[in-house]
Amino acid sequence: MKGLRYSTLSRLLFAAFAAASAPQLMAGVTDRDIENDARTTGDVLSWGMGTEGQRYSPLDKINAGNIKNLVPAWSFSFGGEKQRGQESQPLVVNGKMFVTGSYSRLFALDARTGSKLWQYEHRLPDGIMPCCDVVNRGAAVYDNLVIFSTLDAQLVALNQDTGKVVWKEKIDDYQAGYSNTAAPIIAKGLVLTGVSGGEFGIVGRVEARDARTGKLVWVRPTVEGHMGYKFDAAGNKTENGVSGTTNASWQGDLWKTGGAATWLGGTYDPKTGLAYFGTGNPAPWNSHLRPGDNLYSCSTVAVDVATGKIVWHFQGTPNDGWDYDGVNEFVTFDADGKRLGGKADRNGFFYVLDAQTGKFERGFPFVKKITWAKGLDANGRPIYDPANRPGDPTRGTDGKKGEVVFSAPSFLGGKNQMPMAYSPDTGLFYVPANEWGMEIWNEPITYKKGAAYLGAGFTIKTIDDKYIGALRAIDPKTGKIVWEVTNNAPLWGGVLATRGGLVFWGTPEGYLKAADARTGKEVWSFQTGTGVVAPPITWEQDGEQYIAVAAGWGGAVPLWGGEVAKKVNFLNQGGSMWVFKLHQ
Amino acid sequence: MSKFMLVLCAGLVCGMPLAAPVKDPLDSSRWPDLQRQYVDDADVRFDPRVEVLAPRVAEDSMNVPVTVRLRDLPDVKRVLVIADFNPIVKVLEYEPLIAQPGLSFRLKLQQASPVRALVQTGDGRWFAGGQWVDAAGGGCTAPSAGRSAPDWTQKLNQVQTRIWRDGRNQRLRLRIQHPMDTGLAPGIPAFYIEQLAVVDEKGQPLFRLDTFEPLSENPVFSFDLPDTGDAPLRLVGRDNNGNRIDARVQP
Repeated sequence: MKGLRYSTLSRLLFAAFAAASAPQLMAGVTDRDIENDARTTGDVLSWGMGTEGQRYSPLDKINAGNIKNLVPAWSFSFGGEKQRGQESQPLVVNGKMFVTGSYSRLFALDARTGSKLWQYEHRLPDGIMPCCDVVNRGAAVYDNLVIFSTLDAQLVALNQDTGKVVWKEKIDDYQAGYSNTAAPIIAKGLVLTGVSGGEFGIVGRVEARDARTGKLVWVRPTVEGHMGYKFDAAGNKTENGVSGTTNASWQGDLWKTGGAATWLGGTYDPKTGLAYFGTGNPAPWNSHLRPGDNLYSCSTVAVDVATGKIVWHFQGTPNDGWDYDGVNEFVTFDADGKRLGGKADRNGFFYVLDAQTGKFERGFPFVKKITWAKGLDANGRPIYDPANRPGDPTRGTDGKKGEVVFSAPSFLGGKNQMPMAYSPDTGLFYVPANEWGMEIWNEPITYKKGAAYLGAGFTIKTIDDKYIGALRAIDPKTGKIVWEVTNNAPLWGGVLATRGGLVFWGTPEGYLKAADARTGKEVWSFQTGTGVVAPPITWEQDGEQYIAVAAGWGGAVPLWGGEVAKKVNFLNQGGSMWVFKLHQ
Repeated sequence: MSKFMLVLCAGLVCGMPLAAPVKDPLDSSRWPDLQRQYVDDADVRFDPRVEVLAPRVAEDSMNVPVTVRLRDLPDVKRVLVIADFNPIVKVLEYEPLIAQPGLSFRLKLQQASPVRALVQTGDGRWFAGGQWVDAAGGGCTAPSAGRSAPDWTQKLNQVQTRIWRDGRNQRLRLRIQHPMDTGLAPGIPAFYIEQLAVVDEKGQPLFRLDTFEPLSENPVFSFDLPDTGDAPLRLVGRDNNGNRIDARVQP
């Protein structure tokens, strides 16, 4: 019924304003363009520089030999007085750059000069509840649209030329704790999104909409027991099967507020037809309240884009008690004659899975200290250390606070939202890792709509005085750390690899850096004037290779700092795009 | 065009200098720029049939009531309302279709300014009328009251309507809940209604209206339509964030 009303309305709107819509001049972005994104050097059409998420470019004009000539081409300020974390990956289409900013803003720039073409500022209600800063991680492009999600859990599609809203859909109710910060991805004409709000007892899901109209096509919950739905062209909703089996991995009613937020979005591999979405922690944090594996929390869920059904899942942290979200990106690659996927999990383990079936191939730590598990068994399931699980509060001396344990990694993870890169040239993953731990304890909790649903207390601890962050080159065949570049503050920006034999990454201290992809030798750096917590990109224009990164310190670290604060509290905020090319 | 040729000819034949452009009866220094920008330097005739009714002195710079009255001007296709000295000049653009070409609304004024209606008829000619409104000012750079109301998302784009009928025509008055922020108040991005139309049950518009930042917060409009009897009408539209307006219009 609701769908019917909507379609009538859009028809009325269309009829009423048909005369006002401008004809389309340039050929729009197609599914084919997006599926080839990783191989085409003149544009960047998806988060991950290819929906597979490898963040690898076949450009080699900039290399270790000439990178000393890499200088700024232009810079652009996001403006505004409220400068916060800039975690966005820009896109480049037909000479235009689209980059999102904090507070749900989107900027369209001339990619050649940095001149502003237009900007869109989404009106946000005061009551938005983002857990970890007012960030946005980027947009998607399709046809003549640029699509991004907002902190009040809406999805907005704008005309690439004019910045006018073409369609807008509400994903969910921000007052119940839903928000949205991830970049949408496009697969087969569908725009795929997740939801944020894992700290508020929401239920995670993946949604597919018609990218041209915003109309829902299917919705797939990521908590076992919830019904999935599909929608026909008129918006009529039909059942599409329950996710998993109700109460198989959850007891009682807890699955109804089960968490598993898909807050970092997903990747899509055209070779498998599967979209891979990572899922967050189960709610609440106190694991003693929810015995069982709590599927599909802390997992990678592979969804068939054509049907909206879960084909396989792999759970890194069953019955999570440490906030080890499994949202981290699943990056597919070819090795051993197979299509595999790699994932550096917040829990400190790197997993290599068969991308087609989800079969566990191998797993190994990518951080040096892991306390919560003694290792992985033959199926990749963690071998828990029961002494290192935060205690049950009902067994505490006063019945209010459970036993405090020290855990590593910290709840901010061996790796967090910052995406890694994979180079087919070296066969290595480049992982922005962090070495830190936490003291954590459980407290009693009941669910209240829109209120934080944690049931835990925690504080972050450093492990090594010399560094927290470490960019690590990791061999997915052996688990060996081939090289590392350590960093005083935690790394929070993503990585870019190129055929030029270079990897690029940013630091909270404000540097965009480049290193030799084989040796880790630092060959270049540039001070952007504020912290870098965003992934760099590269593209080619007029025969020249460009490198770009958004700068602006923020994100989760300054909000949850604990003992880490001393390494970051002197850093200044900002908000700008930096673009570089070789000095001629 | 033909009129322009005539003037040019007369100038050449008589060996006299070209006729000066029509003088702006409101004597505003902005007029030549605005003529270029909004009517592409077309000939504009200041005509008493285009009446802009507004207070000489605005009591409230955030809410200046204006009526555009067009009597005896046939075949009006477009009505453009501009305020010369506002930081955002264009107020609205009205396509009356089958409605009467006049309308009433409220706007914000940043300082004393002419408020003008530029009216284009089916033959392409432009007619204009206007009036100076004195104002204490500041209407465009103050934050809206709705901005700080905690429940604005619940009330956004809610519509109140009222209809009066006289047997042949009906007057429709609308009020839409919207902050209509201009983007000129520090730290508050532009947020305003862009498009409105009243449509019949088949989706055919009775009129169309493009609206801009200078319209007052929670804007009020009056339109005169032919009496449509019991046929249900809807007000549809959207703001610059893509939030939809969709309301049944009932007496």
